[in-house]
Amino acid sequence: MNFSTPPFPANATPHTTAFSAPAILSGSALVKTYGSSTALAGMDISIRAGESVAIMGASGSGKTTLLHTLAGITSPDSGRVDFQSPSGSVDVTAMNERDRSRLRREAFGFVFQQGLLIPELTAIENVALPLMLAGYPRREAEGRAQHWLAALGLAGMEARRIGELSGGQAQRVAIARAQVTGATVVFADEPTGALDSATSEDVLNALLGSTVGQGHALVIVTHDDAVAARCSRVIHLRDGRVLPSAQTAGSTGRAVSA
Amino acid sequence: MTATITTTPPMASASRSRAPVARLTWLLARPSAQSAALLVLPGLAFAVTTALVLIVLGGGMMFSRWTLDDNADATVYQMLSVLALVLLLVPLASLGGAAARLSARRRDDRLATLRLLGATPGTVTQMTVLESTAIAVLGSLVGIVLYLIAMPFVGLIPFAGEAIGAGALWVGPGVLLIVVVAVAALAAISAAIGLRRVTISPLGVRTRQTAPKMHWTRIVVGVLAIIGAYALLGSMSGIADAALTIAVLGTGIGIGIAVLNLIGPWALGIAAKLSLRRAKSAAQLIAARGILESPKAAWRQVSGVAMTSFIAVVAGTGIAVVSSLTGDYEEDTMLLLADIRTGIIITVVTSFLMVACSVGVNQAANILDRRDLYVSLDRLGMPREVIEKFRSRTVMSPLRFVTIGSALVGGVLVFPLVGISFIVAPASLIVIAGCLIGGVFLVWLALRATGPVLTRVLREPERL
Ligand SMILES: Nc1ncnc2c1ncn2[C@@H]1O[C@H](COP(=O)(O)OP(=O)(O)OP(=O)(O)O)[C@@H](O)[C@H]1O
Ligand SMILES: [Mg+2]
Repeated sequence: MNFSTPPFPANATPHTTAFSAPAILSGSALVKTYGSSTALAGMDISIRAGESVAIMGASGSGKTTLLHTLAGITSPDSGRVDFQSPSGSVDVTAMNERDRSRLRREAFGFVFQQGLLIPELTAIENVALPLMLAGYPRREAEGRAQHWLAALGLAGMEARRIGELSGGQAQRVAIARAQVTGATVVFADEPTGALDSATSEDVLNALLGSTVGQGHALVIVTHDDAVAARCSRVIHLRDGRVLPSAQTAGSTGRAVSA
Repeated sequence: MTATITTTPPMASASRSRAPVARLTWLLARPSAQSAALLVLPGLAFAVTTALVLIVLGGGMMFSRWTLDDNADATVYQMLSVLALVLLLVPLASLGGAAARLSARRRDDRLATLRLLGATPGTVTQMTVLESTAIAVLGSLVGIVLYLIAMPFVGLIPFAGEAIGAGALWVGPGVLLIVVVAVAALAAISAAIGLRRVTISPLGVRTRQTAPKMHWTRIVVGVLAIIGAYALLGSMSGIADAALTIAVLGTGIGIGIAVLNLIGPWALGIAAKLSLRRAKSAAQLIAARGILESPKAAWRQVSGVAMTSFIAVVAGTGIAVVSSLTGDYEEDTMLLLADIRTGIIITVVTSFLMVACSVGVNQAANILDRRDLYVSLDRLGMPREVIEKFRSRTVMSPLRFVTIGSALVGGVLVFPLVGISFIVAPASLIVIAGCLIGGVFLVWLALRATGPVLTRVLREPERL
């Protein structure tokens, strides 16, 4: 596997030309219900390499469910998810649990609202973990992790435990962890939800720089218009469906977000 | 769920913190508010503890009722039963403690949140103590039922040539009441102590910043226990030579256990530091860090095994001594020797059961406690095998350490009493090896038994 190296433009601007690139991840006719509540009511979406897609919508509109379905965490009741892996197209929904776990480990990166880092481990160990799982020797894994931490402005904090970091710092550790293996798609669920606006801006810069700045895709669920404004595309959800206005917005850049 | 983001959330927190303690406790304890397993688990542990306490007490009381008219060796039986009780005290306390801590710790997060919402420290403490005590009382009532069910089976065990019978183990209503009250008190005290940390700093538990420190009360309790055991045994000494020997043995063992418990966590921490440096795989790294996070907690999980390997050494040499005595003795003595062997086996098996129970309870609690971590590791694509591996390493590597360490200490203590020839006698070594392997296997089994809990957590992750 070809792992990415950390150097990226400090203030990366989103690729607005991603529209022309082929879809790297696409979901079609996705349906997911929980008991009587419908989380996804037949949704179509495609993500292209190098673009950042903001997913917005009211609470309960299906954002997290969509993210989890695209990432192979949740299986939809019907519909399919296709991922363009380096070795060809794969149907994520047809994979067994084991293969989906491997796909998440090797091709995807995740940043949640709370970093959900392992609290006993130090910052550098948390970041090195995905590489160690991929079979890298510990020394090399920690070396790469160190580069990523430094690139995200966390030099000198490698040996701190997660509880000893601020919310924004912990989120940047999570970003380093999500990108250390060179994931081609990074999923972020309200990564700035618990941060103040200045810190949120820093974290977003780090997130965009380490994904879009590297030619990878970012799918980010957010309630924050300022965050959405920085993305190349905004998709609005309501009751498990994509709002039509947002679909047109896909071709006209970030006009809709404000 | 359909509210838009711009809607302000209703300000329920202020009025909630003023609600009466009992109502608040009930609100938080309802099965709808948390998974039923979180309440059932400590209750089950209290039930098993109570049942084992009653059976062991019943056995002890049975022997204490024997007179010299019933059996010429009554005094020896009584001495030995006291020794067995002393040996079983530590695993029993660790199981009871696990149950108590469990019901207290389960509340930590929720209570820290309540504190953040403005509930007073008094309210928080009362709620927890109330809930833990209620669970303990319910659990020990279930334990009494288990005890009643087990009595006929335990009654099949032969002593002095015949089955003791179910009735012999009956402790009477007075003792039943005392045990229930004692278990409830243990739960209440443990909950109150465990909670001081939360009430002092609401953010401490929420973010898990403060690693729990070794507390001096442990040492005091340890010393008091030894003094108590010594006084108990000392008051019975001088009756016969056998009694004196047993008293000395008991005291020596007591001191050995105390020392083990004092240095155990510290030594475990050092061992973890070494293995952290050597760690190559993700599982090794996480396990070593997990132990280092709280060597005391890691020790606590397996400290019961320190006792069982200790008991194994004592039992092994005991059986070797007994076997060397067989041959040209009269029937009475032969019966006594056979009974000593039976007693040793019962003690070993019971202590293993308690240890396996407390490992199972602790591990299941650990999974439920850290469900968000396990779920997120699964989402990140950490293979289930790796999760299982570090879970098992976190228990098994301290276990190996403890088993060997305490067997060595046991050997050192028994040495002046019986000499090296009995320690390395084939009968002794077979018993020791059998116990150690059996004990490790049982703990491993208890650990495996908690696998389904993890499977369930991963399959139905509560929304994060
Ligand atoms: N595990 C689950 N069990 C039951 N219902 C669920 C589950 N997950 C989601 N739902 C339901 O599916 C719908 C969509 O939920 P989802 O989490 O995708 O919303 P969301 O847009 O992410 O909301 P929020 O902004 O609050 O995070 C909601 O009605 C929710 O109640
Ligand atoms: Mg959500």
